[in-house]
Amino acid sequence: MGLVARVVEEMGIPTVTVSTGRDITALVRPPRSLFVNFPMGNTFGRAGDGDMQTTILRAALDFAVTATEPGILVDYPEPWQDQFEYFAGETTPEAIARQKKK
Amino acid sequence: MEPIRYVDALNNKYGAMGFPPYQWSENDTAPWTPLTKPLADCTVAMLVSGGISHCTAAPFDPDARNDHRVDEVDPATPTDQYQIHDSYYDHTDAGRDLNCIFPVDRLAELAASGEIGAVAGRHWSGFMGRTYNRSKVINESAPAFTEELRADGVDLLIAIPA
Repeated sequence: MGLVARVVEEMGIPTVTVSTGRDITALVRPPRSLFVNFPMGNTFGRAGDGDMQTTILRAALDFAVTATEPGILVDYPEPWQDQFEYFAGETTPEAIARQKKK
Repeated sequence: MEPIRYVDALNNKYGAMGFPPYQWSENDTAPWTPLTKPLADCTVAMLVSGGISHCTAAPFDPDARNDHRVDEVDPATPTDQYQIHDSYYDHTDAGRDLNCIFPVDRLAELAASGEIGAVAGRHWSGFMGRTYNRSKVINESAPAFTEELRADGVDLLIAIPA
């Protein structure tokens, strides 16, 4: 996804990437990255919490205006309320076999 | 809390399945196009990579590799008319409220209130993970995608990896 943002930007359309994977985003380096330290899948917050979703979306839009340095990565200041871990998904032998086939 | 280290976590997961370590692209610099219009004049599109498709379209394949599929998403589609097929993240919340990951309603509200100029005619979903043939992304898929954004007069793209 970061690669796509880089190409879009290179071709003349500004982009802002809203990421929950800080290390990956730092490597790939999209033009403008807002890192939100929330679980992957909850980039804009919780289900049913429209205010939080709007706040983060607005932060991304405002960042697109204020960012001045190519490759900049900033941290959204609010933390997720609970501890969370890496989501490993399906790791059953069947799931592994299915993924290997492809 | 410290950010999750996805590079290590993903390589541990897929390494245990027998896959070679995934080499993310590493860049020291980034391209840049200044945003020259105020947000109130900008047409804004969103692109999400979380395996999200219209219920009327085929589901994404969560196990795919090198899947360059990218779907047009009609911004007017009600958020309960989507399906999510992705094994990379927990989409329980997103399944209940798409706006958690793809805030189509929230962006529409910002357009209605005049904070942004307009929602683009199309949003986008695609470019799933585990892309090993990245030169094809850079030379073919992403440029073709950019032409679609141009056709819609998009001034700003919000990219949402998942």
